[in-house]
Amino acid sequence: MPSPDKPAKRPVTIVTGFLGSGKTTLLSRVLLDPSMSDTAVLVNEFGKVGLDHHLLRRADEKTVLLGHGCVCCTTRDDLVEALLGLLDEEGRGEIAPLKGIVVETTGLADPAPILYTVFSHPVLQHHYRVDRVICTVDAVNGPLHLDRNPESTKQIAAADVVVLTKTDVSEAGLVGGLRGRVGGINPSARVLEAPFGALDPDELFGDGAADQSPSGLRPSGAVEFGDGLHVSETHSTSLTFDGPVDWTAFGTWFSMLLHARGEDVLRVKGLLDVGGSGPVLLNGVQHVIHPPDHLEEWPDEDRRSRIVFITRGIRAEEIVDSLETFSGLTGARPQPLEANLRV
Amino acid sequence: MCVLCGQDFVAQAHWTDRYVEDRARAAGPDADPTEYQRDRRRDRAHRAAVTNEVLAYYGLRVKDWAGSKYVLSDGKGNSRIVQDLGALWPAAEKILGRPLDPLDPALKERMLDGALAR
Repeated sequence: MPSPDKPAKRPVTIVTGFLGSGKTTLLSRVLLDPSMSDTAVLVNEFGKVGLDHHLLRRADEKTVLLGHGCVCCTTRDDLVEALLGLLDEEGRGEIAPLKGIVVETTGLADPAPILYTVFSHPVLQHHYRVDRVICTVDAVNGPLHLDRNPESTKQIAAADVVVLTKTDVSEAGLVGGLRGRVGGINPSARVLEAPFGALDPDELFGDGAADQSPSGLRPSGAVEFGDGLHVSETHSTSLTFDGPVDWTAFGTWFSMLLHARGEDVLRVKGLLDVGGSGPVLLNGVQHVIHPPDHLEEWPDEDRRSRIVFITRGIRAEEIVDSLETFSGLTGARPQPLEANLRV
Repeated sequence: MCVLCGQDFVAQAHWTDRYVEDRARAAGPDADPTEYQRDRRRDRAHRAAVTNEVLAYYGLRVKDWAGSKYVLSDGKGNSRIVQDLGALWPAAEKILGRPLDPLDPALKERMLDGALAR
């Protein structure tokens, strides 16, 4: 039974990134910080770069594909075991209360099954929440990975924070170009740089309040249909609404879209004005939707809905058009925004 | 269970149901159950009404069944019992034999015609 003194759910951070993009190096530096001592770390393999941390656990990737399920709706059994094991130890007092969990994925892994595992497991969903997805992108080889590997694009689309690594050894002009490309794929993500794998944990695990880059909700001017820079078949659509949206009707539209085109909706993230005192925080990676959070109040002065869709093969016009068609039900019309959007 | 094909075994509320369900759960055992029940029933009736506006273009309709399930049916006597919106769309696709796509230009045309006719 929930009680007022019930402990908050433990935040789970997922670190993803292509093979050799510097996930482990980043972690090994960040974990040295004393503030990270009660954070457990789950890794897939003990690599050459030794992670020296007393709460380091190994979780071999064991994926259970449910009958007629798609890849993102799979449960990671290893993760369930590891996370339950940690709860157990914490309950017995063998380890200090956990401040958080960091899960490092393999370079080719899709982060969606990890989110799905935490959201859908009957026990885990009450003890853990997914705090954020961090994706490392190698500033030297990143452009190459993006050209050749669709997994890489998916990982960036799923991320809340993108960390550019190896910026110390990359050519000067390359980092700026890569930032542009990452922003083109996922305008909602915060982009950080980590030369030599060094990054302040506060910056990585904080809410980005100190980040001075513009939060960029600007009415659309010249940019047609709010279609961001698109990288091959990946499009990002940023939009707002001209009034409060009926949450139930939006749920009908969006669940219908996810059913028909779920695999092509790589990511959705945003704040929706549903006519309440605060917005609804919507966050989804493919079919896997975070439990929508109805916030008490708006995080800043701007009280307009702002939402980003990252899609593969679905053009921004199609999304805007479809929402326009449904505007009789949702009670508000979509308005495209400039692509530079952070939520 | 899959958010798309999740049926019956309700270990997890579908994300579209979370708002009402979570509030009821957060209120704890001492709260007045009827208060949340009223919200919940109102929400379900509204969801059925909104979804019916869309389903009408496919010759389907959905009905709230005693506040616990939804019954999806067509005009030929086919029907399916579904738990939530996550299960409704796959069931509708089964009955129709094709997916219901909100991006379909044909749906847009019919919905605009429908709006004009009203």
